[in-house]
Amino acid sequence: MTLQAHDIGLRVRRRSLLDGIDLTLAPAEILGLIGPNGSGKSTLLRLLAGLVRPDSGQVTLDGRRLDQMPRRQIARRIALVAQNAETADRITVRDAVRLGRTPWLDALRPWSDADEAHVARALARVDLAHLGDRDWSTLSGGERQRAHIARALAQNPQILLLDEPTNHLDIRHQLEVLDLVADLGLSTVIALHDLNQAMRCDRLAVLQHGVLTAIGPPEEVLRADILARVFGVQATVLIDSHDGSRLMRFQPIG
Amino acid sequence: MTADVGVHAARRLRAPPWLWVPLLIVAAPLLGAAMGETPIPLSTVWQALANQILGAGYALDPIDQGIIWSYRLPRALVAGACGAGLAISGLVLQTLLRNALADPYLLGISAGASTGAVLVVIAGLGGGLVPMSAGALLGALAAFGLVVGLARLSGGGTSARGAAQIVLAGIAGSQLFNALTSFIIARSANAEQARGIMFWLLGNLSGVRWEDVGLALTAVVIAVGTAFWHVRALDAFTFGTQSAASLGVPVGRVQAALVLATAAATAVMVSITGAIGFVGLVVPHAARFLVGSRHARLVPVTALIGMVFLIVADVVARILVPGQTLPIGVVTALIGAPAFAVILVRARCAP
Amino acid sequence: MTGPILAALLALTAASAVGAQPTEYPLTLDNCGHQLIFPARPDNVVSIGQTTTEILYALDQADRMAGNSLWFNAVLPELQDQDAGVERISDNTPSFESVVNKRPGFVPTMFEWMIGAQGAVGTREQFADLGITAYVMPTDCHGKDNLVGSDGTRIAPFDIQTLWDSIGQMAIIMDAQDRGSALIADLQAREAAVVERAGAMNIPDASAAVWFSSAEMELDPYMAGGMGVPAWMLERLGLRNVVTSDEEWPTVGWETVARADPSVLVIARMDRRRFPADDVDEKLRFLRSDPVTSQMTAVKKDRIVILDAEAMHASIRLIDGLEALADAMNGLSR
Ligand SMILES: Nc1ncnc2c1ncn2[C@@H]1O[C@H](COP(=O)(O)OP(=O)(O)O)[C@@H](O)[C@H]1O
Ligand SMILES: [Mg+2]
Repeated sequence: MTLQAHDIGLRVRRRSLLDGIDLTLAPAEILGLIGPNGSGKSTLLRLLAGLVRPDSGQVTLDGRRLDQMPRRQIARRIALVAQNAETADRITVRDAVRLGRTPWLDALRPWSDADEAHVARALARVDLAHLGDRDWSTLSGGERQRAHIARALAQNPQILLLDEPTNHLDIRHQLEVLDLVADLGLSTVIALHDLNQAMRCDRLAVLQHGVLTAIGPPEEVLRADILARVFGVQATVLIDSHDGSRLMRFQPIG
Repeated sequence: MTADVGVHAARRLRAPPWLWVPLLIVAAPLLGAAMGETPIPLSTVWQALANQILGAGYALDPIDQGIIWSYRLPRALVAGACGAGLAISGLVLQTLLRNALADPYLLGISAGASTGAVLVVIAGLGGGLVPMSAGALLGALAAFGLVVGLARLSGGGTSARGAAQIVLAGIAGSQLFNALTSFIIARSANAEQARGIMFWLLGNLSGVRWEDVGLALTAVVIAVGTAFWHVRALDAFTFGTQSAASLGVPVGRVQAALVLATAAATAVMVSITGAIGFVGLVVPHAARFLVGSRHARLVPVTALIGMVFLIVADVVARILVPGQTLPIGVVTALIGAPAFAVILVRARCAP
Repeated sequence: MTGPILAALLALTAASAVGAQPTEYPLTLDNCGHQLIFPARPDNVVSIGQTTTEILYALDQADRMAGNSLWFNAVLPELQDQDAGVERISDNTPSFESVVNKRPGFVPTMFEWMIGAQGAVGTREQFADLGITAYVMPTDCHGKDNLVGSDGTRIAPFDIQTLWDSIGQMAIIMDAQDRGSALIADLQAREAAVVERAGAMNIPDASAAVWFSSAEMELDPYMAGGMGVPAWMLERLGLRNVVTSDEEWPTVGWETVARADPSVLVIARMDRRRFPADDVDEKLRFLRSDPVTSQMTAVKKDRIVILDAEAMHASIRLIDGLEALADAMNGLSR
């Protein structure tokens, strides 16, 4: 299953939020999306999820235009974990995760044991099975983020769109989420802030002012000149003597 | 202590729903038929109903017979329908707009209905051919159209910001229509007329007869049915409109269907009984307090509580001051406000 | 209550004791607890309320009036000539400025909600600031709290003496005490006569209810309260009002009225057509077709009395109304 953006652009009140983005998400690929705040990462994810229609160009899923597919069909294939999804409702964690089954249910196909199994599996994958009956309002930020991912997994998607999923998480859970994403084997677009974490992606795409300025394997994209231009930082590469992997240190320029 | 007193209460009530739901639907209107302005013995009430329904042929004072069958029973049925309809409207709007304060009144529907009624009664719109209730219905729909249009123009839509825009547009619409009502009254009514219309504006069930029952029941069945059909979609709005869309809910279509069904129900209720406040706001919160936030249970429980609440409020309105009937809006506020306060405090105590 | 005839006689002597002298100015008198001072006989009188206007006409004061307002019905036929010479400022509530513009020396009204703490026209102070003396008929301020209930609430039952006081005071103010005494004596004599006539009919424990109108045909009706003018009329004629509320015109459910099952039902006739139920024919149609009211004794036996709404106010028409009610009862008792 391939998700493609063909030269898409989006303007709001004459301001260009995204412009000329071409992107192909290969099957089972993890594509990292990096860029400074306000560069358009969340907006691009919304377009890829079919929630917002581009003003120019189009998004396709296996060659079919997303804006011509029923919502429900999209939701069975693509799951989005948005950046700021909150609720004041009194619901349990399990109920929140159950919402992920919505695109698979209708009047003729009511809730079944199979759905319950999907939910249990999703909860287990994000290590929240023990909190299933807890009230949503009692969760920590990190637990909420994992519950959101579990909800997305309960959708049983082939493509996962994650908007800064490691925010709010302590370092151990950050790493666990990244490991989890890597293990899922799903095509994934993941917006990230931590450039060291971004290095674990198969490919990286760099957004600046709504324009894709670089795309490719991490070692090609995370070059000193690109980082200086896009993020305004000076990067120094260190090698971890423990396993020989690359690490970066950053300092503001000027 | 996990403060779910309500949930515990609900568990203790764990008689099977197929038993207590129909029981409640039958018992509540009977309560309304049994209690009224004047005391009538229960045996008389029972015999009057048996005469009408079973053709029992008990010898009864025809005045008692008429009061129970022609006044009280249709009144209780309409009160129940009205309570369920207003409560469901409030629930649906609260869910769709992600706003705990949303109810039919916030969206200016009742203000518009009042304006329509005043236009017919006082300004003489329709030359005496249009009944007041038809004016109310048109006013309600006009107000709702205006509010939704304004919300659209100001950027309301499926975004989180859109929800706030609808609330703001509703407040603007309510103010506008309330001002229009005042203007029409000041322009063309004298003090006596103004009093007559104020009586109606506060909500009044005394004029309800069997002719109104069909319309009220149809409206409430459509509203509750539409909400029940969409329980999963309503659940999907838990994390906002965008989240609902990403879960495969055709947001625009669902919003349109639900809002239209509930707005029409509200308009019908307002046109039959006048403006009755507090039901749409308070009842959904009470229901959430009892059974939590999942709509598969929330929708029927909200409808049932709304039904019982308004029937009881109407009974209280009739017996509180002997020989005189209070406006039901006063009673719903008198019962509703403290109940709401209790729920607010209890909900805060919850972890 | 002492014998009605005795009361009437007492009132008669009280009225005649005041009468027959020219008024001396400056005149100081108490009006509903407010002290009023008239330096001279007032000119350019503007009257607010049909009752007040008709009393002034009956006192022959049309030539001293600059305007009238707030009409409910056509003027009494015998007062038409007087009315022709006075400008009608407004059919309804006049605005403050339209009243003040006439430079009135005296502004009497029949309702405290026209001139009072929450006066629709203005407060007494507003008039006083412009050197204008406002006056509220004692019929509307004695034994009544006009800030409670939609038409005010009675603290004490209506007392006919307040009507005699109203007429007497206006007569003194206008220096027409001869006309005033004669008018009061005439009305009192007629009252005594009709009360005697009703007593002779000898109807045992008869009850009644008075239906004024309804906001919508099937809504709870506006009925005469237990202490107002209609209740006084019923009581004078030996009828018990089944409505006991202290409000002037409370809404009372048909359930309550029907179960009280009064032996006589009085319904009001009026010219206004604000509500469908203002029409007497509509009232009758409802009473006879509604499943409950059609079963009431008064409806089944056709003991329905139609009475002019104007005769239910504390006005010079009150005795007309009393006579009409007695006539109708006479027909019923047979
Ligand atoms: N609905 C909108 N209307 C106008 N501007 C928007 C809207 N949504 C996002 N933006 C703007 O688009 C830019 C990109 O936002 P976003 O995609 O959230 O960036 P990122 O996720 O990379 O921080 C920002 O400048 C933001 O202010
Ligand atoms: Mg973002």
